[in-house]
Amino acid sequence: MQCCGPGYASPEEAMRAPCEKLLYTVAIYTGTGIQKPDYLCTIDADPESATYSRVLHRLEMPGIGDELHHMGWNACSSCHGDAAMRRSHLLVPGVRSSNIHIIDTAADPSAPRLHKVIQGSEIKSKTNLSAPHTVHCLGSEIIVSMLGDARGEAPGGYLHLDRNFDIVGRWENSMGEIPFSYDFWYQPRHNIMASSEWAAPNTFMPGFDLEEVGHLKYGRRIHLWDFRKRKPQQTFYLGEDGLIPLEVRFHHNPDSSHGFCGAALSANIIHWWKDPDDEWKWEKIIDVENEPHPEWPIPVPGVISVILISMDDRFLYFCNWLHGDIRQYNIENPHRPVLTGQVWMGGLLGRAPEVNGIRVTGGPQMIQLSLDGKRLYVTTSLFSTWDNQFYPEIRTNGGCMLMVNCNTQTGGMEIDSDFAVDFGREPNGPSRCHETRYPGGDCTSDIWV
Amino acid sequence: MSVLRVTVANRKNATYEVEASRPLLETLREQGIDLPYGCKYGGCITCAAKLTAGQVEQKRQVALNNRQLAEGYVILCVARPMTDITLEIGVESHDRLYRNPFLDRLQPHELKADIATPKDE
Repeated sequence: MQCCGPGYASPEEAMRAPCEKLLYTVAIYTGTGIQKPDYLCTIDADPESATYSRVLHRLEMPGIGDELHHMGWNACSSCHGDAAMRRSHLLVPGVRSSNIHIIDTAADPSAPRLHKVIQGSEIKSKTNLSAPHTVHCLGSEIIVSMLGDARGEAPGGYLHLDRNFDIVGRWENSMGEIPFSYDFWYQPRHNIMASSEWAAPNTFMPGFDLEEVGHLKYGRRIHLWDFRKRKPQQTFYLGEDGLIPLEVRFHHNPDSSHGFCGAALSANIIHWWKDPDDEWKWEKIIDVENEPHPEWPIPVPGVISVILISMDDRFLYFCNWLHGDIRQYNIENPHRPVLTGQVWMGGLLGRAPEVNGIRVTGGPQMIQLSLDGKRLYVTTSLFSTWDNQFYPEIRTNGGCMLMVNCNTQTGGMEIDSDFAVDFGREPNGPSRCHETRYPGGDCTSDIWV
Repeated sequence: MSVLRVTVANRKNATYEVEASRPLLETLREQGIDLPYGCKYGGCITCAAKLTAGQVEQKRQVALNNRQLAEGYVILCVARPMTDITLEIGVESHDRLYRNPFLDRLQPHELKADIATPKDE
């Protein structure tokens, strides 16, 4: 097929794309005591370059206190057939401020520039939504999961933007009985969207109180939506197996109905699929055991803060942010995953306090995988207030970014000894790095219609 | 217009005159104090400061649990002074704000106001 729009015709074609040479990673000062704006870093990922593994450029946001967190593109492979679209702008929301920064990465990919800010106040007044989280391109338009209403109460909803980044309004026709919002992913050939549950912004933003889980202030469900009707159609009540379900990923293969979610506090991986009788079903496929700690009265839960799936749908990766390990599972049989790789960095269990000469503060947290599945980039900060609770020394040490080489044949992982970005040495003082995207696409940016 | 005095203990006891009717984040930033903030509606804790003397009204805050309130924390983006007050500001004042929730559990009366139960006598 003639390529005309952004992205790739298929996951198979995406895997043959050139290797990434630049990474975009957000870094925050919110909550650190340094009175500087959060910023978007450009990092050199070209091993042939003299500045490999260094920050090439820092784009500061206009104000302080955004807490940049997750990002998304204006366009992805969902508009591959639209010659009018380009993957040219990165949407970078601030969870606390509700500002959404539209950043032009096309004019000079190594030095992105600010194109526009959709002010949080405008979003609140037009849609009664706040706390933007996940951004997905949707054909030529964009939807953003918003975790609260204008006062920070659940369940929030979905902000709909047009291709010019103007507010259309609310995307969803109904939130149904959904109590909380967080991440979402859609699989249009099955007319399905899946969404997960963190908590109301007023609950999770000030920090984590374990007692609030028992008071049902945190999520424990996954919702399936009728994507065309824009309303929920089915809820999986996960109960104790699914406390705080966060990242949601469908297979990249657009014909597949299989999806996965990591339940952070239960430290389980949840899998769902559509049976031949058209029934959607779910099961727990991985259960990470809590680990003893010499100073803890109870064993430490893994806290699975992120999952992702390789572009060929063969491997599932996730991080146990409190334990300090990243795991790779072969999911060719999605009902029976097989552990094929594991590496350690930071964490509370003390297995790998120092890696590549950097004292790792925090644990493996956000991950991003190259299209060919071979290079997994990892950062260590979760959320400023939660960092401050579990890893208070991150305030002086900052976060870091490391890279893991992944064996895509037989499985296996190894931390790369040449790549390390120490955010403890940033010019304005220690910052904390979070999500990463690649200009040419990665394993969480593209959906095929 | 009622004007009250704010002393910032960890800024060499600098004093500022502020309007009683407006949130402290606004009135102090206008006078050049560099304060952290996030949501600006009382929900995210980024602007927390410690009140060591005097009283504020902060019923719009929803970020603090009862233990943090008992420690003297105030949410500057919505808190307004009711008397002359003394504050410690910035993350230097956050020594008691964050705790490991697994190692140091909250008692039922220390939860946020909407779910707390009265302390047993």
